Amino acid sequence: MKNTIKKAGLLAMMFTAFALTSNAQISKTKKAQKDTDAWKYEIECVGIGKPGTKVIKVWSYSKKANVANAQSKKNAVHGLVFQGYAGGGQGCTNQAALVTDPSVAEQKKEFFDNFFELNGGKYMKFVSHSADSTPEIMSVKIKGYKYKVGVIVTVNTSALRKDLEAAGIIRGLSSGF
Amino acid sequence: MKKTLILCGLIIAGITASFGQAKKPTIMVVPSDNWCIKNGYSMEFDNEGTKVVIPDYKKAFQQNTEVKLAVSAINGMMADRGFPLKDLEATMKSLESDAAEDAMRTSKSGGEVAESPIDILKKKAKADIIMELTWTINKTGPKKSVTFILRGLDSYTNKQVASAQGTGAPSMAAEVPVLLQEAVTAHIDNFNGQLQAHFDDMFANGREIILRIKVWDDWDYDLESEDFGDDELGMIIEEWMEENTQKGRFSTTDMTETMALFEQVRIPMYNAKGRALDARGFAKGLYKHLKGDPMNIPCKLVQKGLGRATIYLGGK
Repeated sequence: MKNTIKKAGLLAMMFTAFALTSNAQISKTKKAQKDTDAWKYEIECVGIGKPGTKVIKVWSYSKKANVANAQSKKNAVHGLVFQGYAGGGQGCTNQAALVTDPSVAEQKKEFFDNFFELNGGKYMKFVSHSADSTPEIMSVKIKGYKYKVGVIVTVNTSALRKDLEAAGIIRGLSSGF
Repeated sequence: MKKTLILCGLIIAGITASFGQAKKPTIMVVPSDNWCIKNGYSMEFDNEGTKVVIPDYKKAFQQNTEVKLAVSAINGMMADRGFPLKDLEATMKSLESDAAEDAMRTSKSGGEVAESPIDILKKKAKADIIMELTWTINKTGPKKSVTFILRGLDSYTNKQVASAQGTGAPSMAAEVPVLLQEAVTAHIDNFNGQLQAHFDDMFANGREIILRIKVWDDWDYDLESEDFGDDELGMIIEEWMEENTQKGRFSTTDMTETMALFEQVRIPMYNAKGRALDARGFAKGLYKHLKGDPMNIPCKLVQKGLGRATIYLGGK
């Protein structure tokens, strides 16, 4: 009997620990999702990648450094789709946004909501952390944000563009011909 | 019955698809005159006392690996964007082989392939849009960098429709081909962005062409003749242009008694029947207008690619 109680207690503890961990994970994802809704980030080019890719550093803002880190990939893809960046050092040239008409974000809201879904959104297919990238964490004093985290990522712009073309979000070079 | 319906559906779909496509411009990457001449890939000839230097593309492709690399990289990236380009080297080879075949070919009755002096003049590698490529290697001490210029030129209107230029990051270790490949990678997206804007403008406001009207010197009339209507012939042609161009957009650059030059002529991408339109298709409308009743002017229509056409008045 005593043994059974001991086993049940152990099982309950393990279950609680598991529930707490997954809850924390969900909470982190939710926070990241919430923070990304404001699209508070900056992107800059850090070098010329392989043909069809862009190597960029994305600075994401959040109250927690790990949350900012988690949203960096999503911000990077969003930045290339809607913002582009100015040129700079390392041979970087300016890059125009893939979506040139800003109203498209509103017109195709449902598509982009699904595309940028933090849990399993399609954006994940086009971005990866650069192998030698260590997140750069800076404290900031901006209302609602405590940290600014810089992460270097590689975005496969060629595949991203093709996907947006196939979805009818942007026109391809040979559209209409 | 079912089969007939499916067949009808397929035919309608086919017709709709063929009507929905505008005429696609051809694009070709060409090393610039500046690069060819600077690097010794040029030919000189005497044009009635004036020394003329022209680029020798064949020599450049045979002897310079960098040009092949740059052209190939651009071709590859454009193909990736769904817009494969015409290859200059392959086009030149194809022209040579066609010329050799034509020279050897005879008909069963012994006739040779007819070729006018104009045909000979037109036998050259051409495209609707030329991507003109220039680069220079800069050296500062042990460091090297590449300055890269890519210009997209409309072969008919001579307008620059896209461009990308800049100097890459200096490097001590990287070889020139690597720097060149990097330059192409860095600039091609900007270039394509502008090219896309040019195409978007084309679909929104019509294709831009040039139309010329010329008069044979043995014709009894000219563009100032008032025998073809209420006004001078030149004015009648201008009226037709106003009615048939996209939103009446064109500029009469020159108008004399023997010639008229219409530039910045915007023509619809499709005609009233929904078929794709180019300079020849558009000029054919004017040609029929002049040739038909009541004017009955004998004329000849000559095209140059998608964007330029000339109508000669007074005969074929």
